[in-house]
This record gives sequence, C-alpha cells and structure tokens, in this order.
Amino acid sequence: MTDPAARRVLVLGVLTAVLTATGIIGLFLVAPEDSGEGQIQRIFYFHVSIALVSLLAFGVAFVAGAMYLRSQREWWDDVVFISVRLGLVLAVLTVITGSIWAKAAWGTWWIWSDPRLATYTLVILLYSAYFVLRSSAEGSRQARFSAVYAIIAFVSVPISFYAVRVAQSVVHPVVFTSSGAAMPHSMLIWFVVALAAMTALFFLLLQVELMQHRAQRALREVKLRLERG
Amino acid sequence: MSGGTQYVVAAYAVIWVILVLYIVAMGLRTARLAREAELLLRLLDDRDAAGTRDEAAGVGH
Repeated sequence: MTDPAARRVLVLGVLTAVLTATGIIGLFLVAPEDSGEGQIQRIFYFHVSIALVSLLAFGVAFVAGAMYLRSQREWWDDVVFISVRLGLVLAVLTVITGSIWAKAAWGTWWIWSDPRLATYTLVILLYSAYFVLRSSAEGSRQARFSAVYAIIAFVSVPISFYAVRVAQSVVHPVVFTSSGAAMPHSMLIWFVVALAAMTALFFLLLQVELMQHRAQRALREVKLRLERG
Repeated sequence: MSGGTQYVVAAYAVIWVILVLYIVAMGLRTARLAREAELLLRLLDDRDAAGTRDEAAGVGH
C-alpha cells in the first residue's frame, strides 16, 4: 500500500475497531454499576464521548478554516466541510442519547432551563446554518465564506462547554474538574477508552471522506480536460 | 428488561443505526464516484475510436 492516505485509513480502522470493541465489552461487562442510577448510567460512556468529539470536530473545522484563509488550499476547505458535517451528526447523536438518558433518569425527554441543553442546541443551530451559507456561494467565495463562518461559529463551543461550570446545572453535573474526575477509576478507565474510540472513529471518517473529495476533484479535472479536447 | 436496561439498549441502538446510516451515505457517494469514473472511461474510449477512424480516413485519401 503506497498511498499514505490509504495507510492512515487502515491504521485508524484497526484502532477504531479495537477501541470500540474494548470499550463496549468494558462498559457492559467490567465497569461497576452506578449506585445512584443503576444500569442507566452506562449511557454516560458513549454519550459524553460523542459530545466531546462533536466539539473536537468543530475545533478541527475552526483550525482548518484559519488554515484555508492563510493558504487558500482547497484541501483545507474540504476539512472544514467534512468536520462540520461530522460534528453535526455527532451532535445530533448526543442529543438523542441524552434525551433517552433524561427520560430514563428524570422522566422527561428535554429540560429547557438546563444551560448545557440550551447552549448545545445553539451550537447545533449555528453549525446547521453553515450549510445554508455554503450553498449560497460558489467557487473560492464559497470556501472563503465557509472558512470565516466556521471560525466565528466556534465561539459557541467554549460557551457550551463552560455553561454548566458557570450555571451549576443540576441535570449536567460537572464530572471533570481541575482536581480530577468525580468518578471511581474503575469507571473512568472505560470512559477514556470510549473517548479514544470515538476520537479514532472521527479521524477515520474524516480521512475516508477526504479521500472521496480528492477522487471527486481529480475526476472533475479529467472531465474538464476531456471537454476541452 | 428492567432497571432501565431498555433505555441503555435504545441509546446504543441509536448510536449504531446512525453510524451505519452515515457509512451507507458514504458508500452511496463512493458509488457515484465510480459511475463518474466509468462515464469518463467511456468518453475516452469514444474519443480514441473517433481518432482511429479519422486516421484511417486520412490514410485512405
């Protein structure tokens, strides 16, 4: 395998498979049952991991947006676009799994007064608007506008992340503080594995989609050359 | 199922289904790329065939 991108896909694929399998086995068969919430707490491992990786995806879009504005390389525009799309899919997944957890724990699907839920919804709406903006322009203007928007929209990410720390939410307690994690090591280890699995999955999907975009661009170029004769 | 197990199963099923759907969407995009590549190959074949015919006609004259 000479293509470095294909090699990266292979390595990330194996890593994702091993980490996901280890995480699922660990959280269902090894991790202890939570004394307060019982079985329901097992949603935590992948729910929080997916939420954090969605914010990571928006962070990657932010960095790629800045890199595009600096270099004008189309590849960075691809990274912005794919990261925002992946981030949104993960964000929707976070909301759905969170709602299921909320229904099981508190008997309600949604609590509007919770700062994390409100700010996270804002993040989803902001990044959904990215696609509206992107479809309103073409060519280099499209890439430039998209990059600028991805940078500006990222302001909402730290707001959402720190909302529970500032507002002292009851629904979303602060688990990770500067003094450590508010959970036993026997649980923390499986959370770390789940987080690593989701991070590897994000980079795997990003890499596969970047290869698709590369192929698409090459085909477009061949088509243009053929049309020119 | 008791003790909230059904909710845990539902949450992980949703994760599984959405990720599979995402992979299916990626597969459909890959299929479109393959179709485009095949179309371009046909265009190239047609062009080569036309070029051969023109050459043959040129030799004949």
